[in-house]
Formats: sequence, structure tokens, C-alpha cells
Amino acid sequence: MTLREAASRRLLLAVLILSGVFVALLALGFALAQDLFAAEGVDDLERDASAAVLTILGLYVASFLSAFLALFLSAGSVSSEIDSGQLHAVLARPLSRRSWLLQRWLGLAIVVVGYVVLLAGSVLLVARVTTGYQAVRPLAGLGLMALQALTLLTLGVLGSTRLSTLANGAVVFFAFGLAWMSGLIEFIGGVIDNVGMERVGVITSLLLPSDALWRGASAGLASPAFLAAAGAMAADDIGGFPFAGLTLPSPALLTWSLLYVPALLLLAVRTFTRRDL
Amino acid sequence: MTAPPVAADGLVKHYGERVALDGLSLRVGQGEVVGLLGPNGAGKTTTVKILLGLVAPTAGHAELFGLPVTDPAARRRVGYLPEQFRFPGWMTGAGLLDLHGRLAGLDAAVRTEHAAEVLDLVGLRGRERERIGGYSKGMQQRIGLAQALVGNPDLVILDEPTSALDPIGRRDVRDIVRTLRARGTAVVLNSHLLSEVEMVCDRVAIVDRGRLVRSGRLDELVGGALELRVRLDRIDGRALDLLGGHGEVVASEGTEVLLLADDPAAIADLAAELVGAGYGLLALVPLQRSLEEVFVELVRAGDRDGGAA
Repeated sequence: MTLREAASRRLLLAVLILSGVFVALLALGFALAQDLFAAEGVDDLERDASAAVLTILGLYVASFLSAFLALFLSAGSVSSEIDSGQLHAVLARPLSRRSWLLQRWLGLAIVVVGYVVLLAGSVLLVARVTTGYQAVRPLAGLGLMALQALTLLTLGVLGSTRLSTLANGAVVFFAFGLAWMSGLIEFIGGVIDNVGMERVGVITSLLLPSDALWRGASAGLASPAFLAAAGAMAADDIGGFPFAGLTLPSPALLTWSLLYVPALLLLAVRTFTRRDL
Repeated sequence: MTAPPVAADGLVKHYGERVALDGLSLRVGQGEVVGLLGPNGAGKTTTVKILLGLVAPTAGHAELFGLPVTDPAARRRVGYLPEQFRFPGWMTGAGLLDLHGRLAGLDAAVRTEHAAEVLDLVGLRGRERERIGGYSKGMQQRIGLAQALVGNPDLVILDEPTSALDPIGRRDVRDIVRTLRARGTAVVLNSHLLSEVEMVCDRVAIVDRGRLVRSGRLDELVGGALELRVRLDRIDGRALDLLGGHGEVVASEGTEVLLLADDPAAIADLAAELVGAGYGLLALVPLQRSLEEVFVELVRAGDRDGGAA
């Protein structure tokens, strides 16, 4: 149902076209860089490093786009159905609210995860074809990116059971922004050895692990050359790369994130079944 | 005896400080067409939403076909047209009906056949392949009605079904309700349009301030005390005494009075008494009260009580 809705609406088509443009631009960037390097006779190491940075930045954008898609799809996932009265007619059928909400979530989750895999997969594919880029743990990386999008999606669905579409969209967007910000604070805290700043990041990733998951995902999607270069920078105390992580998430974070989605979903079912429509 | 389509007892609903329902009870029998009538904000929609399990009552109990409304199975034989129904514009009419057919648990083959049937009934046959977004307001209301009829429900709840329709559309809705009644389908019709309720409903429940202020068959509601227009050749104290013995003189002008008779059967006695006392009886006209008058009277009475409280 949600899948058909997404397919029938122009939203998804627009998103796919724009994402296609993004991947095409990235491919053009790779191709131009390769030509330039070939013309100037840059050595292999430098070439790999620049390709790696470009790829990680491309994935970073892909992660942002997926997060926004999750946000847009979930912001009004319940509230807009209530506003239109559409939900009232559907729930007047012998259908429990729980199963309606779970089906709705599942439909959106399939769209979002499919989008993540398609977009991040395209970035990796373009990088590989043009520069021979190899991610260290591509599947783990994609999985973590999908999990990041799912946490935002589920948070949005939870909010949508209570808040208006606009308020909910704003709340989830701010939460996402705060998680992103504290990821940076944690990174800087690590560079200048400030425990307090690092703690801010840890606490925020408990509240919303989206940024922590991206950092884990990027570690899986990075190339060995990138990890080596950024790792060396970090060891030299000159910082490393602020927008990506170097290690896969700890088992604790991974467990927390895997529990986070069902826990939010359970909460969403609870609030939704108890409210008046 | 099978359980009635609707049985609600002592429904109370508070929204914060505001009391939307204040002990409303309602029963709808099999195949009965009941109009819920009341001013805006009287609690009609809240009542309907409680029956459908969309709103949880603060107190009271409601059942559909003998099952508590909290059980989704209670809605197995129910169709509903919500009050403010904006349709998913991206869907086609056929798609909407198919969705509701699936939700009602119909097989694919039955769904197609059934969709054609309800499309005929609401007069949208031939337009079902178009997107609902392109429908006119009236067509949207019709597809909403069609959606509520999918699955041959034994109880159809219509919340202001004619609000977006032109006079012809309204007549069509009345015809549909009559068709449903002929089939033995119970209908709850929420409306603030008295004429609509008057024309199709077996029974009217007048709701005001969250309470059922009057319920009964239409003829019972508008019957009871009868208004009489009486014109005599002259009016004096004795004439008024005679008239007063049969009811209440509510107005008088010249030689004409308006009498609210206590007992409609005693009109003949009144005529005999007047003639016997030597008055010339020029006119004695029974005035049938309309539902509108009953309604306005009850709601105004509520206003007075509300003001005194």
C-alpha cells in the first residue's frame, strides 16, 4: 500500500531523478579528476587518496539525502492520514491500529532502505568503475547506512503519531542536526583530548545514534588507502577527517542501535493505539 | 435474537475541560435508519467515532453487533464515511474501492464485481479508472459513499454525507439510503440538515450538548401535542376559558388563536363545546408540527437550561 502510494506519487520520481543527477555529477567529477591526474602525471598514491576522499564525500551526501528522504516520508506518515480523514475510513474496517502502523512503517522502511542501497551502491559503483575504488567492508557499511536512515524514519513515525506534520518534521530535523553537531564536537574533543566534549557525542548518540551510525558506516565504506591516510593524520594529532569515522561501531553501539528501532516502533504503536483520532 | 448493530450506554467523553458527550445512550436495530440530529458541536461525530473505536470514551460502553467497539472484529460488517474526507488524490476510484474490499476481507474476484455494483449505486460507473485527485467535490463525496458500501456492510455510518453535494446529489444519497434500508442494512446518518433526516430516517435521535434530548419515530416526535389554529366570530374571556380547558393558548390575534392541544383526539369535543356555547366556529385547522420546530424547540430549551445552570 505504502509502496504503491510512493510509486504513484511524484515525490519518489522526483527524488530518483535528482539522485540520478547527483550520481551523474559525481561520475563526471571522477572522470575529470582522472583525466587531470593522467595529464599531470600524479602518482598512484595521491590519486587513490583523492579518489577516496571524493568517494567518502559522495557517500556523505548520499547519507544526508537518505536521512532527508526518511524524514520527509515519515514526518506526516500518520498525521497527514489523520488530517485527511483517510485513516478514519481505513480504521473503520476490521483492522487493528497496531497492524496498520506496522504495515505503514514497513512500507516506508522498504522504500528508504531500497533508496540507501541504490544511492550508496551507485556511488561505490561509479567510484569503482572510474578509479578502481575498493571499500573495506561494503556490506557492513551499507547496512549501517540503512540502519541510520531507519532510526530517523522510525523517530519520524513515532513523532507523527502525536505531532502535526510540520512540528514533527521540525523536531526530527533538529534531532538529526543535533546528532550531527555532537558528532563533530566528539571528533574535535578527540583531537584536543577533551573528555567532556567526547562525552557530549556519546550521550547524543545514545539519544539518536544517526551520526554515530554514519561514522561506523563510513569506516566500512572507506578504502584501505583512506583509512591509512586518515589514521596517520589522527595519530599525528592533526585531526584526521572530521566527517567520517575510522572504525566500525562498537558492539555496544551496534546493539543499542539495533534495539533503538524496535523500541521506538513499540513506543509509536503504544501512543498511536491510545490516542483519539 | 441477534445483537443489535449499535448498542451504546452512558457514553461520556471529556476533551480536557470540555464535555463533548454527557451520558449518551443509543440503540440502532437491524435494518433501522436512524438520524443523529443536532447543532454543530452537539457530539454527533464524537458519538460515531466512539462507535468505530476511533475515540475512547471517558466512561460508558458501546457495542457493535454484540462485540465491544475496542475489538476490530466488531467492525467486520461496518462501512463508514467520515465527515471530512479528503481522498488520496493519487489513487484511482477503483483503487480505493479495491483497498477497502481487501480491508473488508473480500476475495479479488468478489472485489471487482462488488466495486462495479457500488459504482453503479453511487453513479460513478465509468469514472473509476481516473485519479480521485481529478474528481469534482461531488464525485469525491460519491466515491466516499461507495467506499463505505464496499463489502455489503450490515451497518453503514454516514457522517454528513451530503455536505458537498448539489440538490441532485442529495437526492441520490437519499435514494441510496432507501436502497440500503430495503436491503435490511442499518444506517446511522449524522446530519444537521433536518429535511434530509426527515425524508429518509425511521427514527430520529436529537443530540444536544452531548445528550440525547429526544429520540423516537418521526411521527412520534412531530406528533404528540398538536397545534390548532382556531378562528371564532368573537373572542372573549369565556371563549378563552373553553379553549384553555383543552390546552394552552400560545398566541392570539384578533379573533384567531393558536392553541396547543393536549389531546388531539378531543378536537371534536372542543368544537362541540364552542358551538354549544354560542360561538361561530369559522376555522379549526390542525397544524402538523415539522421536525424543524421540534428540533428548534428542544435546542432552545437546552439553551435556557444551560443558561440557568
